[in-house]
Formats: sequence, structure tokens, C-alpha cells
Amino acid sequence: MAEPDSLPVMESALEGTGKEGKKESSKKHTMAGSPVEGLLQPVKLSRAELYKEPTNEELNRLRETESLFHSSLLRLQVLLGGWVEELLKEVKLSEKKKERIDAFLREVNQRIMRVPSTPETEGCFRFLPPAQVTVVGSYLLGTCIRPDINVDVALTMPREILQDKDGLNQRYFRKRALYLAHLAHHLAQDPLFGSVRFSYTNGCHLKPSLLLRPHGKDEHLVTVRLHPCPPPDFFRPCRLLPSKNNVRSAWYRGQSPSGDGGPEPPTPYYNTWVLQDTALESHVQLLSTVLGSASGLKDGVALLKVWLRQRELDKGLGGFSGFLVSMLVAFLVSTRKIHTTMSGYQVLRSILQFLATTDLTVNGISLCFSSDPSLPALADFHQVFPVVFLDSSGRLNLCADVTASTYRQVQHEAQLSMVLLDSRADDGFQLLLMTPKPMIRAFDHILHLRPLSRLQAACHRLKLWPELQDHGGDYVSAALGPLTTLLEQGLGSRLHLLAHSRPPVSELFYTLQWDISQDPPRHRDSGVLTLGLLLRPEGLTSVLELGPEADQPEAADFRQFWGSRSELRRFQDGAIREAVVWEAASMAQKRLIPHQVVTHLLALHADIPDTCIHYTGGLLDTLIQGLKETSSTGEEALAAAVRCYDDLSRLLWGLEGLPLTVSAVQGAHPVLRYTEVFPPTPVRPAYSFYEHLQERASLLPRPDKPCPAYVEPMTVVCHLEGSGQWPQDAEAIQRVRAAFQLRLAELLTQQHGVQCQATATHTDVLKDGFVFRIRVAYQREPQILRETRSPEGMISLRDTPASLRLERDTRQLPLLTSALHGLQQQHPAFSGVARLAKRWVRAQLLGEKLTDESLDLVAAALFLHPEPFTPPSSPQVGFLRFLFLVSTFDWKNNPLIVNLNNELTVEELVEIRSVFLATRTQLPVMVIITPQDRKSSIWTQDGPSPQILQQLVILAAEALPVLEKQLMDPRGPGDIRTVFRPPLDMYDVLIRLSPRHIPRHRQAVDSPAASFCRGLLSEPGPSSLMPVLGYDPPQLYLAQLREAFGDLALFFYDQHGGEVIGVLWKPTSFQPQPLKASNTKGRMVVSRGGELVMVPNVEAILEDFAILGDGLVQAVEARSERWTV
Amino acid sequence: MVARRRKRAAGTSETEILSPPGYSAIPVKFSEKQQSSHYLYIRQHRVREDTKSSWPQKRTLFVLNVPPYCTEECLSRLLSPCGPVQSVELQEKPDLAESPKEPKSRFFYPKPVPGFQVAYVVFQKPGGVSAALALKGPLLVSTESHPVKSGIHKWIRDYADSVPDPEALRVEVDTFMETYDKKIAEEEAKAKEEEGVPDEEGWVKVTRRGRRPVLPRTEAASLRVLEKERRKRARKELLNFYAWQHRETKMEHLAQLRKKFEEDKQRIELMRAQRKFRPY
Repeated sequence: MAEPDSLPVMESALEGTGKEGKKESSKKHTMAGSPVEGLLQPVKLSRAELYKEPTNEELNRLRETESLFHSSLLRLQVLLGGWVEELLKEVKLSEKKKERIDAFLREVNQRIMRVPSTPETEGCFRFLPPAQVTVVGSYLLGTCIRPDINVDVALTMPREILQDKDGLNQRYFRKRALYLAHLAHHLAQDPLFGSVRFSYTNGCHLKPSLLLRPHGKDEHLVTVRLHPCPPPDFFRPCRLLPSKNNVRSAWYRGQSPSGDGGPEPPTPYYNTWVLQDTALESHVQLLSTVLGSASGLKDGVALLKVWLRQRELDKGLGGFSGFLVSMLVAFLVSTRKIHTTMSGYQVLRSILQFLATTDLTVNGISLCFSSDPSLPALADFHQVFPVVFLDSSGRLNLCADVTASTYRQVQHEAQLSMVLLDSRADDGFQLLLMTPKPMIRAFDHILHLRPLSRLQAACHRLKLWPELQDHGGDYVSAALGPLTTLLEQGLGSRLHLLAHSRPPVSELFYTLQWDISQDPPRHRDSGVLTLGLLLRPEGLTSVLELGPEADQPEAADFRQFWGSRSELRRFQDGAIREAVVWEAASMAQKRLIPHQVVTHLLALHADIPDTCIHYTGGLLDTLIQGLKETSSTGEEALAAAVRCYDDLSRLLWGLEGLPLTVSAVQGAHPVLRYTEVFPPTPVRPAYSFYEHLQERASLLPRPDKPCPAYVEPMTVVCHLEGSGQWPQDAEAIQRVRAAFQLRLAELLTQQHGVQCQATATHTDVLKDGFVFRIRVAYQREPQILRETRSPEGMISLRDTPASLRLERDTRQLPLLTSALHGLQQQHPAFSGVARLAKRWVRAQLLGEKLTDESLDLVAAALFLHPEPFTPPSSPQVGFLRFLFLVSTFDWKNNPLIVNLNNELTVEELVEIRSVFLATRTQLPVMVIITPQDRKSSIWTQDGPSPQILQQLVILAAEALPVLEKQLMDPRGPGDIRTVFRPPLDMYDVLIRLSPRHIPRHRQAVDSPAASFCRGLLSEPGPSSLMPVLGYDPPQLYLAQLREAFGDLALFFYDQHGGEVIGVLWKPTSFQPQPLKASNTKGRMVVSRGGELVMVPNVEAILEDFAILGDGLVQAVEARSERWTV
Repeated sequence: MVARRRKRAAGTSETEILSPPGYSAIPVKFSEKQQSSHYLYIRQHRVREDTKSSWPQKRTLFVLNVPPYCTEECLSRLLSPCGPVQSVELQEKPDLAESPKEPKSRFFYPKPVPGFQVAYVVFQKPGGVSAALALKGPLLVSTESHPVKSGIHKWIRDYADSVPDPEALRVEVDTFMETYDKKIAEEEAKAKEEEGVPDEEGWVKVTRRGRRPVLPRTEAASLRVLEKERRKRARKELLNFYAWQHRETKMEHLAQLRKKFEEDKQRIELMRAQRKFRPY
């Protein structure tokens, strides 16, 4: 990561922290005190402005909007209209640039015509200047969008250089290539062009095109693409029908023609590629008549292009290009589904609606309305092409190259988008058109096939010779269809959607380009084939692939499909069936069954060994795996703890002899909502390792031993019924609660024999090795704490810090815990995502500045509001989206609304947003709203400060591309822990801790080589003494440091085994202070310019760091070059 | 660099220790091993005539900047050479009143983690104060004869101390509740006695307990009553009856529309400023 970049920001950001330490209120003012740049302010119009006499024009305008504003949906559309306009302004070409491009095009035209022709020689290719140069495509139609402006130019080759049978055996394509090569040779010498390069037209390797770019500062303005095409009516259309053969097997295999051969296989793809060249002009004519003067349609096409591009659907061979959507618009206009007066937004909606609801793989569509009997039927096309959309000639399938998978992906995206548009979400537009959906962030698992040359063998294994002949030897695209079908069938109910990258793709550009002096890239040079799997969480739980009954005829197919993995099994209902069983014990392994399926099937059917498959699905799992666990990511351990909690709550419900009955038992700990990064394991203390305190049945740590294992009690809130017996005085309630805690401990020990320990505020219970901390609560206590009596005897309710804390701990926290517990049942990946996210934030040493709950809620937002994605089904993709959300969310102007259980209605959401805007200055920097907490954002009240949030955003923005690049690297991710290691060079002082006294040392990101005995047995031992609870020396040390030096410095630490504490001085507190009794803390008096002032006594403070942490601190490294006193 | 500065700091401390006017400074260190020291700033406790202070003026020493590892016993030991010490009280910030004599329950008010504190040291004789003001130091908090625990040892001791003693807790709760119940019973008896008895001016206090209980005097209840009144009044009022009323409603409506319009405009303007419309 580029750590130095983050330094100045942190520095400048810290300037506000001095203020923040002193007063609660001033913290908020640092952000809001002065009108901060880019913050939405509540609209303040002066009275005079609001109530002045309206002009006629204004009145009309307001009336118009008023009628629209009656429904919030319409209001949204009007707003959307504004947004669409702005977006189009961003992507469309300005008039000024258009002029420059036009001038360049004229130049290009002249230069091409001036390329000299070659003399006629027998048997040789001859060059003659093109018969016609025409601009075709989106530039002419005015629908091209920035940033890469391409102008397509069709060069009609003169009839003289072509011969009758050129349609056969790639002769036409080779002449076309030679024609371009000659042009390129001459144009490259022209100083007008900045670069002259080759590329493939739409990724088809038989059809190169020439890319010209202007010289000088306009280099990135435009790319002119030259496409040679045959003279009109040169090819007889009937020769190019999908059922015809134009590549002879004998020629293709390099044999002499033999008369005996059977029927030649049809070459539909080859025919289509030839036909595409002949139809360039007719298509542009059709489009210009339809789009012509209808600006709404053009806007719609431009929006759709942005939509496709954000989803990476438009590039490569068989991409769903902008041209295809334009034709789709033309089709819908011809069927009257779109009217030419519609706005861009309406066109976008109609097209998405059409894509979402029709299936072109079954019911193809055609732009040809003639009933000529010589034309082939749609069914003929369906036989050879997966997706069918015929052009106006009725002979060319525009979607020929589009694979079924790509089409399914488009359909899936359209469906998602329609749901989003219909949901009336406020930021729908943003999510629809502004959020990029790269493959790594959109799909749960990714797999790379590399090297691509393996696919050649796969083609032979799959017996794809006719397809190879048809594709001109392009084994990648020939194998693509069958491979995806194979995997789709094998993954079955586990799979929601399978997508593939479209070859050829290069790393630098969307389309492959090469210099004219180089050889063209070969198929294997196009890098890797990447497949994305979108998984179905409900299908992931099964380890069984159930086949047909053994005596059914389908059983043979099943056996053939699964090979040796298929076994005969007898089931409980007595049936004997073929079945495949995958080995997976834990949730994490079950999530990775698709890996096993893919590896098995590819090896079995396509001869692709597992060394060529690079599967990216569970690479991040190691970061949330337990200490010795390698097969599980902790979901099972968490579930065991939750089961134990359920048992305990049953015990509490059934407890006899309590003066009041238990009215509710609620969990309030991260473990009980499945979000504790490292789940607890049952404690089995080795008694000899500890000091014993027999009379209180407790173990104590020993100074001469390493720090014992860390055991964190899990908080459980136990509500007791309300009754007149409860006193009405806060102090007395406290005592009564303490009495209940004692009684609870007694009864639990008596009736169920569990080890208990009661204090005034809680009762610790040791059950099956898990330790729970039961807090007795009384519903009305926060209310009583809130009561204040005015001098006149009036009782009013005012929030006090104590009442808010109690309310949060006994009401809000249990509610949150149960809501998130429910979320985990719906989305099994939630636990993994939330824990990875927390692990990362804590590894960046920011864990203590952001509450557990706030991070859990951010993770929950990824599942409850996944738009424009679907809820993640793997921790990996969820974590990437967490980084994306954190780094891009506009915390200043928006609350993060986490609509748990979908409780908030649309109207309430609108209300929440307006309240947010009005009270923005009183709210914390990070605002998270839930149905239970609609105004105050309790979980972020005490932090993060603006500076910490800023730092978090920066770190996330840096980590995301690094991690995505690692995960998308087909050669393997390298060191996946890179983004989890914190930058340390921004801290002023580093305090190194001794691992011996860090109880959670083994949880560190880089697990340490040496480990210490932590006083645990591997077998269950006696359980008569309470283990050491919550004893974590680094935390105790930090508490002391913060108390003593909190107003001088900030302390950063990773609670999961961090070995270092980072200290940042607060710049403001280093300013010399006037002499005052209240700010002497840790300071000394010095004379500055004859005046006595107070400055921090840094030398002594550094020594204090070592004294306070005696035994724990290894070294205090002062990086004094970074500060002076 | 650090070393050099340290030397310089050590040098100045030998020659002259600065202190705020009215205070004198005593260097204080944790133990022999430390190189540099903190400074206690001390003066005699004085207050103006009219303010009340529970600390005896002549015999009390006011100490600023007491380091976190320095406990009350420790301060008492360090200052005892100046004269017998009667009491030491550590506080987070200067507070004139002595804390209540009755110590707070350690079960319900756990001891806070100490930071830098201030101290009031009361000597038995006034001479102690002047002797303390003349102290040169450096004072050592932890010596071989009286070691002070810090770090791991301190935390382990704290942990052992925090292991609860249920019996003691029970006794404390029981005694508290006994007194509390007694107090409540007394109050109730008194209230019953006064029930319906007019005071010297003849007023009778109406309470919730009497034969006809009244609404409790809470803010919520009074707000409810006010709201009811307001609604009652609103029902009687004529809306859009007079021409000026009509005009005002219209104007109000227009103002609302204007406001909304401005809001949307602002939102779009802001997004434009942030280049939010650039899709990639």
C-alpha cells in the first residue's frame, strides 16, 4: 500500500483532535462549525425571499412541479430527470470536440484515398484505394459516449480486387487483412497520426481493424477504426445462410480434396462474420432513420451504454455491445413498445423491462417483417445459435456471438435493475448507473483457466472439430459454450449464474491492440479465461448430488456425467439411487464444493488438470480461521456457543425460587450474533498453571507464567418482570438487582450444579466450558434514571449519560443481537463477512475507535441493501464490497440506513433523510440508522472522530484495488495478508509489547512462530474453579495509558494479538499552554521567550510508558524526528 | 537526538526548576532507574475569605500533577519527613470540599483507573506545609524498602482484588435495603399523617395516595393536557375565512414549494460540484 500518501492527510486531520478531547460538543463542531465544503446544509431562505411576490413564470414552474410532487414516486422521477441530464452531459461529446473530430475524419479520408495502388500482377493481391469511405456506427448517430470515443469507418473495397469464390475458405478475410496491412504500412508513415495499431473487430480474430489516432494533444480524443468491407451485393446472401458450409474440411485440415467425404458441416459463425461486413451500411441507415431526430432515444442508448459498461458486458467477442442495444431500441420502436417522444430514462426502463421479461434463447426476435419464403425461419437460427435477434435482412443474427451465459447475465442484470427502479429507492440512479460492477466484486467465486492452450486439448476431448473449423481455429470461443454448459449442469442447484470473461481481453485495454510491426496475438495470448460464479446460498448446504434410481435409463447418463464420483447409495426411504457425495464437514468447506465440482468435471470431460484451474473463493478464509482450525471458518464454533447459550436460557426460564419470574433472556454479545472474529472455545484450564483462590472458587494468573488464555464472558441480559415490589429509586434498584444477581448464582449452582460467581452488576456462569455473564435488568430502570424533579415538583424526563448507557446495554443491544442473529439464518455468509471486515479494521489498529456494533451494521447493510449486487454468498466478495462501501459512501451527506427486518417503509425513509439533513450538525460523523434507532445513531455516538473515519476511508480505498488485483491474478494471489498489515510509519512512538503477556498473540495476522503455554488442557478437566476472566494485559495497559495521557496522545492497537501500540501525539496539545491548575497533567513549566508556559514533559512521559507497562513493554521507540517540543 | 535533549533537560533541572508563580516544584521519579522526572507543583491551600472549604487552611498542602503510579499511601510516605501527615486525598481535579466521610461502596463504585491527579495533604501541624514547600527532591515513588507495583504485577493484584466476595456483598445489600425500607416506611407514615390536614394557611395538599388520586405531576402529562387544549381551540377556529387568512395560506404554500425546490436544486448542485455524475 502506498503508505506515505496517507501521512499528510492524517497529519492535517489530526489538527482537530485536540479540541475533540476536551469537550463533547466541540468534536461535533470541528465538522460542522464552519460550513464545510461539500456538506448539504438545510435550506435557509430568508423570510423576504420565501414570501416575496411570485412572478408569473415562477408561479407556473412551481405549479408544474407541485402537481408532480404529489406522489413521491413522481418527485423522484423529476429528480431523476435532473440526474440523467447531468450524467448525459458528462458522457456525451461536446460540440467543440465534435468539430475537431470531424476535421480529423476529413483528413483521414483524404489520406486513405491517397494511398498508392499496387500494379497488377498475376496471383498476387492487389491494392486499390477504397471505392467508398463511409462513417458508420455510433458517432454518426450521436450516441457514442466518453471516455473512449471510437469512430467506425467502413472502407468499401473495390470490386476489382476480389474474386467470385472469395467467400470460401477464409479467402475474403485474408484479402481483407492484406488490404488493411497495405493501408497501415502507408498511413504509419504519415505524421498526422499519433499511433497506428491493429485490433480485432469485436474480438473476432479473422477480422482485424486498423486504429488511427491523431498526433499531439488530441491523441486521446478519438480513435478511428477502419473496417474494410466488400462491395454491395458482392456475396450471394443464400450462400451465407446458417445452414451452409463455406469452410471446406479438406482445406481446413490441409488435405487434398477427396470426393468421398460425407456432408460438410455448416459454418454459421463464419457466415455471420462475412454477413456482418456486408450489412454495415444498411444497419447504420436503419438506425439513423429510427433514432434520427428523436433525442430521447439517443439519450436512452447512451444511458444503456453506460449501464452495460459499468457491468463489463459490452466488450470482447460476443459482448452485448452498444450497437446491439441500439438495434434493440429500433426493434422496440418498430413494435411500438417505445415511442420516439419518450425520454432517455423511459427508454432505459423499457429496454431493461424487455430484457428482463423476454427470453431470446427460446423466442428469438427479428427486425425483418417481409414474408419472403426464401428467408430462413427463426427456428433454423435457434438450432445453431444460442441467442437469436435477426436484422432487417432476416439473414443475419445480430446476437450470433453472444453466448447463452452472457445473455443470461444481461437478463439477470436487467432483472436486478428493474427491481431497483421499482423499489423507489432514493439513490436508485446512483446504484444503477454510477456503481461499477467488476467481476471480482459481483461474483461469489472466481476461477481462472490458465494457460489457455489447454483449451485446445479440451476442444479435442469434447470433439469440437466442426466448431473449430467454423471459428477458424479459435479454440477459446469454440470451447466456451460447451464448457459453460458443462459447469452449469454440474453445479446445478448451487449455481445462480455463471459468467465468463470474453476473449480477447488484455490487461491494459478493454480490447486487444498491437503494433503494426508486431505479429498478431495468438489465442493463448489473450491471457486467461475467467469464470465468475454467483452462488445460491440455499444450494450450498448440501453435500449430496442426488441422481436417478439405479434401474432408470437416466442412471447411465448420470454415471457418465459424474464418472468415478458417482456411487450407488441406499437412502432412508429405501430407494437405491446413483449419487455423488462431496467431502465437506464445515460451512467453509461446503461453500467450496463448487471448487471440487469444477475441478472434477473439467478434468473428467475436458482434460483440464487442476493445475490449470486457479480457484479464488476461500482465499481470505485463513484470516478468520481459529488458532488450530484449518478446515472451518468458525461458523460451527459460533453455533456451538449459541447452542450452549440456548441451554442456559432454558435453565434461566425454568429456575425455581426467584422472587420474580424471568420475563426475557436476550443475548447481547457478538458471539450470539455470529460476528465475533475468533469464536470462543470451551475453556479447560490446567490448574497447576494458576494461583488458586479456593475460598472464592477462582483461578488467578501467576506473575511467573505467561499470561493465561483470554476468556471473554458472553453477555446475556435477563429481564425480570415488572412488579410493585421494585423500589422507585435508582440507588435502591441497584441494590435489588445485586440481590438478584446473588440469588441467581445460588439457584443455578443448587439446581443445575453449574459454577457461578456473582458481583453487584452481573453473574458469571461457567457452563460446558463457556462463560456467560448474566446481567439482570429491570425494564423501568432507564425511565427512573431519566426522571428529574424541577424545583416546582414537576417530574420531567431527560436523557442522562447513565440512562442512555443502560438503555443501550439492556434494550438496544439485545434487539440488535437478535436481529443480526436472524440475518445470519437468512444469509449464511453474513458471519464470515462481518468477521473479515472487523478483522481488517482491527488489524489497521482502528478497531477500538469503531464499535463492534457499528461494524456489524455496516456488514449487515451489504446483505440488506446489496443493490446493485445480490447479497454476497461468500465472505470474500462480501469483504470486497465492505471495502468498497466504506471507501465510497458519502458519510457527510447520507445516513447509512440498515433496514433490519424491512421494518421501515418508504415514507419513513424519506422522513429519516430529511430529519438527518436538518440535524446533521448534531449527529456524529458516521451515522447508522436502524429501525430501532431512527435518530441518534447510538453505535457511533462515541466515535469514530472525523479524522479516524477519514483514515479508515483512505485505508479502505487503498486496500481495495490491491486486494482485487491479488485475487484476480491468475498466477495466484501472492501474499493475501498484505492489505491486513497496518502502516506503522505514521506513528510518533511505537510501544513494542512482549508476546509472553499478550494472551491472544496467536490470533495475529501473521501467526507467530513461537507460542506460549496459556494454561489450557486439550482434554476436559475439572471445572470446580472459575477460570481467569477478561484478563488481557494489553487492554489494561491501554486503559491506563488513555486515562493518564488521553489528552496528549492517541493510542492505536490491534486487540487480536497486536505486538505494537502506535502512539500519535495530538499536535494541539503540544502547543505551549498558559499556566493553569487544570492543565498541568503530565506537563512541566518552561520559559519561552521570557514567559512561563507549560509543555508536555515528553522525556518523563516516554519513561512512564515503560513504567506503567512494566513486564509487558519490551521497548518504547520514539521516532523523535517526526516531532519537536 | 533524544539523548542530547535528555542531557539538556537534565542540565536545566539541576540548575533551576521553574514553577508557576505561587507554587514550588519538586521533581518526582518512579525509582532510581529513571532518567527524567515529573514535577509536583505544590503550595499551601488557601481560599478567599467568603468561600467555604473543608480543608484546614493552615495545615493543608495542595499538590498538582501527581503521576498515575503515585498512590495516597505513597504520597503520605514521601511527605512524612516534613511532619506527621494526617490525611491524603487524591482527586481528579481541584475540589474544595472534602469528599464525604463515608466511603462509597466498592461493589457498586469500582475504583477508576488513575491518571494524573491533584492531592490535598493535611498535616497534623502547620509546620509540615512549610517544610514540604522547602523540599528539594527528587522524590522516589518506589524504593527497595517500599516497592510500588506496576505493570503485570499490579494487574494481577487488581484482578485478585476484583474477584468478588458474595458474602460481603450480600451483607452490604441487606443493610442498605434495611435502612432504605425504614426510610420509605417513615416517609409513608408521614405522608399518611399529613393527608388531608390543612397547613397553617389552610391549604390541603392533594396527593396520589388519597381517596381521589390525581394525575402525577410529570412533564409528559402536562404536555398531553396542553396538546388537548390546543386541539380544542383549533377546532373552534375558522380557517381560510377572512381574505387575509386565505392570502396567508397561499403564501405559506408557495414558500413551502420554494423551499423544496431550493432543496432539490442544492442537492443536484452539490453532486455536480463533487463530479458525482462521472460514471467512471
